[in-house]
Amino acid sequence: MSRKRYLLAAAALLPLSACGPDPIDPQTQVGPNPPLPDLHQYLLPPMHVSRSVGWKDGEVPQVAAGLQVKALATGLKGPRSLLVLPNGDVLVAESGGPTPPINRPKEIVMGWLESLSHPAGEAGQRITLLRDTDGDGVAETRTVLLDKQNAPFGMVLVDDALYVANTDAVMRFPYTAGTTQITEPGVKLTELPAGRINHHWTKSLTASPDGTKLYAGVGSNSNITENGIDEEKDRAAIWEIDRATGAHRLYATGLRNPNGLTFEPQTKTLWCVVNERDELGPDLVPDYMTSVKDGGFYGWPYSYWGSHLDPRVMPQRPDLVAQAIMPDYALSSHVAPLGMAFATGTGLPQAYRSGAFVGEHGSWNREPLNGYKVVYVPFENGKPAGKAQDVVTGFLNADKQARGRPVGLAIDGQGALLIADDAGGAVWRVTGSGARSEAQPPAIVR
Amino acid sequence: MTRMRVSENFPRSTASIAGHPIHPMLVPIPIVCFVGTFVTDIAYWATANMQWANFSAWLLSIGLIASVFAGLAGVIDFLGSRSIRRLRPAWIHAVGNVLVLALSIVNVFVHSRDAYTSVVPTGLALSGTVVVLLLVTGWSGADLIHRHRVGVRPGTRA
Repeated sequence: MSRKRYLLAAAALLPLSACGPDPIDPQTQVGPNPPLPDLHQYLLPPMHVSRSVGWKDGEVPQVAAGLQVKALATGLKGPRSLLVLPNGDVLVAESGGPTPPINRPKEIVMGWLESLSHPAGEAGQRITLLRDTDGDGVAETRTVLLDKQNAPFGMVLVDDALYVANTDAVMRFPYTAGTTQITEPGVKLTELPAGRINHHWTKSLTASPDGTKLYAGVGSNSNITENGIDEEKDRAAIWEIDRATGAHRLYATGLRNPNGLTFEPQTKTLWCVVNERDELGPDLVPDYMTSVKDGGFYGWPYSYWGSHLDPRVMPQRPDLVAQAIMPDYALSSHVAPLGMAFATGTGLPQAYRSGAFVGEHGSWNREPLNGYKVVYVPFENGKPAGKAQDVVTGFLNADKQARGRPVGLAIDGQGALLIADDAGGAVWRVTGSGARSEAQPPAIVR
Repeated sequence: MTRMRVSENFPRSTASIAGHPIHPMLVPIPIVCFVGTFVTDIAYWATANMQWANFSAWLLSIGLIASVFAGLAGVIDFLGSRSIRRLRPAWIHAVGNVLVLALSIVNVFVHSRDAYTSVVPTGLALSGTVVVLLLVTGWSGADLIHRHRVGVRPGTRA
């Protein structure tokens, strides 16, 4: 099937669809200081989403040499993020975002386009618990730990409290080891920005190494302030939440859509992956991973990659642009990173034991497609050291349709890499292809 | 006042219902929408309040849809009558409105961009140009009806 099918019908009517600059090799934009082409504002931006077709029986993603992959679970309803519990149980947030309001004619087209890229059927809006009792890498039991949540995404366990970042609030639930169902209603620790539009709705969540603070990623309410700057209050930011009182402050700002919040194990620094802005060209703006500085401003909406001005924002703020921090490491443009996990344990070969895995949900605003894979960025002394390598690919079939799309990642108790695949409805488990690795104590951020 | 001779033939409107030409019934919709777009574009330019840019995008879209139907009726009238095609204002009217339609199609794509550059400067300039063109085509359209009596029923009192 040709990709023409995914072009807007309008594109066929118009020679206007000639799309501007030729895309460059995405690999050139991986790493620190990526080359940034001149910005190009389209008459008709490229809109290429891969239609979601799901995995056929027996199909699995492709893994790099020395690795093997198996489904820990399939048939899930929009699995988006993962948390491994100390006893080895795996929590999966099954969720979907709100239906956005139609404020402009464009949003009718965008809504239709998005509906193609997501599988039919309602997302779960729940936290499901997977338990692999016999250690064969397949979950034998599956229970609904928490039901009727509101677009849950971030999860973190601190002591005997499970925190779930719904799209509108961080909730606290009592957790005891081995439990498979929580019936308590939970306590609202802190409200998060949601509201009528709620454009970037996934609220990533992690805890400081000492457990006193929570960090929540709150994405912007637009691509580039087209819903008005008032809609962006306290958004495009990472919130620091006091675990005892629920009080919050903005830890870092200017991060358009921060996800995968994780503390780097060696330096205990907060890292995240960020989805940058669209519709400035196939190679603008590179999405990135970065360490996050307390009080840091990372540009959005006024500028990108440091102080490169975005002309679409009015009024401009040269004072803020002057302070904008350049991110640490580009992942190339429009790959849509939504998950990150630092390697821990010995479940994977030596080559994958000191670095970060990144789940790239995949592009819509670029042709050819970019992302749709899980990459590994090697780290040394708590900093990226080397080129990102493809670890798990094959989410697209030969016709560029999405069998799956990676979102959240986690490392399980054996050190295996877990991948939440929302379009494919699966959780994949990647291990070394040799003999089963020896069991390791679970490694979760506490 | 003299009674018109019944035999006198005014240029006839082909696309009409019970003697009422369709084209002049439809054109107010795109005219109002495109003039409105220019007004709300100016309001956005002055305030940077996205509400005005959203108004512009809707006005443009609705104006374009309506102008397709108005244009169809106009084309049918134009092709359906040699005596219309012989009139100079008919050509000014037709060519001018084809330009209006083409510029507005470009403009609706410009207005589909996000935030400030969906209006300033290209969108605003296009909206303004369209309004100027509408003054010309509106004038020539009025010529056709009020001077050349296109679509006016023969035998009616003048």
